[in-house]
Amino acid sequence: MENETDENVGEDIQEDDETEDEEFEDFEDDEDTRDIVVPGEVLTEDTKNFLPGRGTIYNNDRTKIISLNIGLKQIKKNYVNVIPLRGFYTPRPGDKVIALVIDKNPVKYKCDINAKDFGTLKPKNTIKRGKIRSFRGSGGSGGGSRQEEANAEKYEIGDILIVKILSADRLNKPELTTVGKYLGKKNNGFVISIDPPKIPRVIGRNGSMIKMLKNLTKTNIFVTQNGRIWLKGEDIAHERLLVESIQKIATEAHTVGLTDRMQEFIINEKKVRGIE
Amino acid sequence: MPLIINDEYPEKLFREDGKRLDGRDLNELRPIKMEVGVIKNADGSAYMEWGNNKIFAAVYGPRDVHPHHLAKPDRGILRVFYRMATFSVFDRKRPAPGRREKEISMIVADCLEPILFLELYPDTSFEVFIDVMDADGGTRCASTTVAALALADAGIPMKSLVSALAVGKIDGKKVVDLSGIEDKAGEADLPIAITWYNEEISLLQFDGDMDLDDLTEFLDLAKESLAKIHQIQLDSLKSKYVTLKREEGEN
Repeated sequence: MENETDENVGEDIQEDDETEDEEFEDFEDDEDTRDIVVPGEVLTEDTKNFLPGRGTIYNNDRTKIISLNIGLKQIKKNYVNVIPLRGFYTPRPGDKVIALVIDKNPVKYKCDINAKDFGTLKPKNTIKRGKIRSFRGSGGSGGGSRQEEANAEKYEIGDILIVKILSADRLNKPELTTVGKYLGKKNNGFVISIDPPKIPRVIGRNGSMIKMLKNLTKTNIFVTQNGRIWLKGEDIAHERLLVESIQKIATEAHTVGLTDRMQEFIINEKKVRGIE
Repeated sequence: MPLIINDEYPEKLFREDGKRLDGRDLNELRPIKMEVGVIKNADGSAYMEWGNNKIFAAVYGPRDVHPHHLAKPDRGILRVFYRMATFSVFDRKRPAPGRREKEISMIVADCLEPILFLELYPDTSFEVFIDVMDADGGTRCASTTVAALALADAGIPMKSLVSALAVGKIDGKKVVDLSGIEDKAGEADLPIAITWYNEEISLLQFDGDMDLDDLTEFLDLAKESLAKIHQIQLDSLKSKYVTLKREEGEN
């Protein structure tokens, strides 16, 4: 059962990329000039034609639009955006992230999701539906819950899980679930982490970068929004090359034409290292 | 037997040729060097050399508040820890934080708060650790400047940077950026910080003996030099990425 799911991961991701692209569509690659802006920098004084988008605000008398972050300036339609180069992950409902179980008790699992708060995973959110359904009249609610308990997945401290965020807001701890497509425990491969704002570059436009990485290194990758990347390759040499490539992407995230350059880099490195 | 050194100051703080003791003009800054991203394990960090001052700043956050009773349910808090190393001054500084350190921590926090969106991060703290490795006058201003830089490097949304500078009066003349000896032997000093978002004064302290009518002149004098410091801040923040870009272009 486990093996089957793992083999599927390669395909899974491609579908995943497309969903993630919608969110990060604005992280485009084809612009020639990418101005680096810093907090407080005036982006435009033309407030009639432009509106402040992501990472920007008006100044007090609404005569200028200024940046809030260190990042790249981007104008899209009539919005001025700043794509941050540094920052932290803020959980949002619907995100699929890689979590590390750091504590467990009968009521909940505590998971590190690389956010300010730990996520909570309740056993009721780990029950895979369609496995064994309790039959009608199996003994009221008490019996039903016992049945459900038996169906719940059991995790241990230190397990790597792929979870979906059910709810997250500023005040409460994020709630997680492992029920769903591609979700659940990872039994092999390993996880690396990079700066969360650089994740869109690892995915690339319409998933171009991740497809290229996967094809060239023959590795399964699962990229998540909290800056963690799960990967599993044929052998250690390919995995090592992929890790180095991802780190290179992270350091050069603000440059133009990254996908082509990375392709060149990987093909070159493969020759140098003598791996195919 | 402790080594006792009498504080002896020169009678004149100006040289024969009208320049200051370290050879500067009246409105000349000491050489400033700033760098960001120097501490790997911090979320954001910065290092500054301002004359003989050498200061590190590291930012962590947003993260949980410890002790928890300090947490505010409606907004985040900004905590600043200003510390001087034992070897940063001539007499060994006792490592325990004293009144002076607590005061400077507080004023730096108050100075940086207006530019952050703390209301977006309830029950959270941002922590800024400022370590003075070498001190030679004007460390509170330098600390504010470098702390703002570290916050920007951490990717925390902020309205603008903050720059700070001390202006003062020595031997009856108005000067900017007092060094350690000018600070002690001079007549008055006036640390000023400015938030560039709305160009408001975020810090204004005063010590010494000076005419109130001079204040506006001092503020004008300060603003000129603050703009220079702001430019250095911006350049250092961008240079981290621009140098990488340039390397790419060469390749």
